[in-house]
Amino acid sequence: MDNNPKKMFTPVKTYQPFHSIYDPCRPIGVKYYSTPPQLYMGFQPPNLQQFSPKEALKKGTLWPAFWDYYENPYKDKKRDEE
Amino acid sequence: MKKLPPEYYQDLEEIQAIDFALVELTLYLDTHPNDQQAMQQFNEYAQQAMQLKRNFETKYGPLQQYGNSYTDGKWSWGTSPWPWQI
Repeated sequence: MDNNPKKMFTPVKTYQPFHSIYDPCRPIGVKYYSTPPQLYMGFQPPNLQQFSPKEALKKGTLWPAFWDYYENPYKDKKRDEE
Repeated sequence: MKKLPPEYYQDLEEIQAIDFALVELTLYLDTHPNDQQAMQQFNEYAQQAMQLKRNFETKYGPLQQYGNSYTDGKWSWGTSPWPWQI
């Protein structure tokens, strides 16, 4: 884990997996994983702000506090190209 | 093949949205069984959902089978599209 506490908080964590010299694939370098908001909330407090039912359906949760937007962290690394 | 009007999809989306909110509230109430306000919202949404489904079924035919929905006068259940195909 290289989560430097001096850096600003981010729910996207990183680590560097071991790369065997016999691994036929190129090293992936840094691996990312996303930690969801409920991990930091403890027990859900009552009366949280809510989405409208239609928006909730699109977002996948009734409460904005639990909405976890995902952006592919590998996208600009162009790892999937070639 | 029979084409469905755009209102069909709008009406169905409304049902889907309210049903999803009800799923969320169910899970919430499982862990917060004393939240009266949430229970009131749950009942309001349940009522709305029933109303929406009743309207939908009178317009387009049954959503469910085996007696959970009334049939219309031409047994439209026997012809596609069925609710899970659209």
